[in-house]
Amino acid sequence: MLTFSRNKPLHFLFQPVHIAPLATFRVLFGAVMFAGMVRFMAKGWVYDLYVKPTFYFTYYGFEWVKPLGTFGMYALFTSVALSAFLVMIGLAYRVAAVAFFLGFTYIELIDKTNYLNHYYFITLVSFLMALLPAGRYFSVDAWLQPAIRRTHVPRWMVGALQLQLAMVYFFAGVAKLNYDWLFRAMPLRIWLPPHIGLPLIGPLMDETWVAYAFSWFGAVYDLFIVFLLADRRTRLFAYALVLAFHLMTAWLFPIGMFPYVMILLTLVFFPASFHRKAVDTAGRRLRKARAEAVPAPIRALQPVWPARLLVGVLAVHFAVQLLLPFRYLLYPGQLFWTEQGYRFSWRVMLMEKAGTVFFYVTDPTTGREGEVVNRDFLTPNQEKMMATQPDMILQFAHFLADHYRQQGITHPKITAESYVTLNGSGSRPFLDRTVDLTKEREGFAPKRWILSFSDSR
Amino acid sequence: VLFFLSLAGAFTACNDKGTELKKDGFDRKALLANVGNNIIVPNYVAFNAAATQLHTAAGQFAANPDASSLGTLQNQLKEAYRAYQSVALFELGPAEQELLRANLNTFPADVNQINANIGAGTYDLGTASNLDAKGFPALDFLLFGLGTDAPAVVGQYTTDANAARRKKYLTDLTLEIKNKAEKVNTAWSATGGNYLNTFVNADGTDAGSSLGLLVNQLNWEYELLKNAKLGIPLGKKTLGTPLPESVESYYSGMSSELARLGFQNLENVYFGKDKSGNNGTGLDDYLVSLNARRGETTLAEAIAGQLQVAKNKLAALNDPLANAIRSNPAPANEAYAEIQKGVVLLKTDMPSQLGVLITYQDNDGD
Repeated sequence: MLTFSRNKPLHFLFQPVHIAPLATFRVLFGAVMFAGMVRFMAKGWVYDLYVKPTFYFTYYGFEWVKPLGTFGMYALFTSVALSAFLVMIGLAYRVAAVAFFLGFTYIELIDKTNYLNHYYFITLVSFLMALLPAGRYFSVDAWLQPAIRRTHVPRWMVGALQLQLAMVYFFAGVAKLNYDWLFRAMPLRIWLPPHIGLPLIGPLMDETWVAYAFSWFGAVYDLFIVFLLADRRTRLFAYALVLAFHLMTAWLFPIGMFPYVMILLTLVFFPASFHRKAVDTAGRRLRKARAEAVPAPIRALQPVWPARLLVGVLAVHFAVQLLLPFRYLLYPGQLFWTEQGYRFSWRVMLMEKAGTVFFYVTDPTTGREGEVVNRDFLTPNQEKMMATQPDMILQFAHFLADHYRQQGITHPKITAESYVTLNGSGSRPFLDRTVDLTKEREGFAPKRWILSFSDSR
Repeated sequence: VLFFLSLAGAFTACNDKGTELKKDGFDRKALLANVGNNIIVPNYVAFNAAATQLHTAAGQFAANPDASSLGTLQNQLKEAYRAYQSVALFELGPAEQELLRANLNTFPADVNQINANIGAGTYDLGTASNLDAKGFPALDFLLFGLGTDAPAVVGQYTTDANAARRKKYLTDLTLEIKNKAEKVNTAWSATGGNYLNTFVNADGTDAGSSLGLLVNQLNWEYELLKNAKLGIPLGKKTLGTPLPESVESYYSGMSSELARLGFQNLENVYFGKDKSGNNGTGLDDYLVSLNARRGETTLAEAIAGQLQVAKNKLAALNDPLANAIRSNPAPANEAYAEIQKGVVLLKTDMPSQLGVLITYQDNDGD
């Protein structure tokens, strides 16, 4: 076992470790992504989410990301699925990994209606995968060109993936340390009772203590699971918890592939010996029987890239992630209510929030007022997601202003009357309905037209 | 799972101080069974009967067009249109498959398209461009909108150059309504497709569950009432310029009555009430069992109160609604405003408390 050198902390990061964990991570990630993309297409969501809508809620700074039309979107999804497959088998690995990262991220940037922390996580992991030499072992590439095959990589390469997973869990745990979650068992107290029909555990689902138990267990799990996984003595117990936790959430909530993604990817915390055994077994099954049948000479990676530059890129990558969850502190008001600084922070399944928003358009030259039927422009899901998120409301208001300008109203005034309920609070006024939203600009500045949660009760 | 639960239990042991033990145990299956057996199925049976009679009356009129057969047919249309209001909400399962709402009641009718179809003599009623040239709105025009009195209307089916084609078009429309009503009714009935059984047993809360579909459709119909039946004629979408001729049933002039019937059905579904007023398990009972609150009152009280206010405002509307909007839009505007307040309660508070989802896509609650 390699020991940590006090004198050279960086040296520890560059010590060679076996590459097998990277290779199995690659295979599992590629496989589950391939399955995920195929599932997405099979469910018809490409059409529902990226072809059918007439308006898309773009991300600030990424307004140029547009859907590509029916053929274009299916072609994009197909190529992303194909790159996931190539990543899995390790063929043209680097090209495939970069293509997957770019393609997947492009899809996610089209419409923030569909933002999920899970998808953000995939984007981040695929970025790491595009940088790491995960295709140099147990891959078609290494089989075709034995010269590129490597058995060892610097420790930070495996560590980066472990850190990425660690951050997701830990921040998800930190996010749960709030009053509603811990002391009101919200939103689980709303979300669990509908499951009383389930076999075995159903009758427990409307017990208040169960909602508290799930809330507290979830918080403790998220905060500490990585530490338990990292320690050899608790690892197996920890992995049993991983299985129990994610299978439970998969059973109870409509969260798609995510539980399976986490169940598979947390294996990266297991030691290299475990992964080598897995690779050897799989290799024999594949009748290649060559992976480690004959002990191969150690061939450590001599990075073509300046390794320190790569480490620098990763340092920025992780520093940004470290800071993003705390940017909400720069905004006034209650985070869950205003959602300023909410995304990209691993706030998963934290609140039950719903709203309704009515848009009014006024022609100041005539004083005449009308109301907008949101469904003329938005899908039910877009309307629902928009109703609780001020930046989306503002985007839609600007879209409406353009629409009415085309109808001949030179300076339309757009106001929004909206009501939101948060964790069973009962609906209350959300935005200042006198504010002309066409005069407000999107950006990082606080949105002063959001009413405060406590005042609007 | 057992392992997980025992662990969860261990966590609670340190935490049950100050936790009130509450058990709701609401029986969603009972709610669905009540709404299915006592509201949906009887309403489809009634609608199917009215649609059959409508087609029969249309056939008799076509065979012998005179003032008397026209009067009978006009009354049958009104009856069927009334009966339709009590099933319009249930656009799930069989009705969703038949796209009943779009096929039967896309209004206002496109008169030019109707006349073009009749003039051409050939048409495909299944295309999207014909949605507003068929169904009740088109029949409303064909039976009430072709002349100021019965002889004038009858003339269009006897002496007019296109009389034969018009009669054919008329019966093609009533046949489509009859066929669709029959299909949906059969699909629900225990002796037919028994969708009732499927409906009662899909008792989860996901988007595909019966409760999810019902809550979504209740909201859809409620907003349709607000926007299409009142808002658009009042000029809400046209910066205050009223469009009175875009009301439902413009030519027969029974728009307010139809709006009230639709609202009544909506209310019945919410309270779990059948046509004779027997109040069974409904969404209100579910909200009560969840102890859902809104401000100082319970959510169930807030909704019941708002529905009552809106209903009173609807009761004050005269027919023909188009004329009322032209001469004095204030009552319709008031009804619109009160219905709007209900949208917030039904669309935001209720689904949020019930944990009902509106989409099938993955979700991590953020």
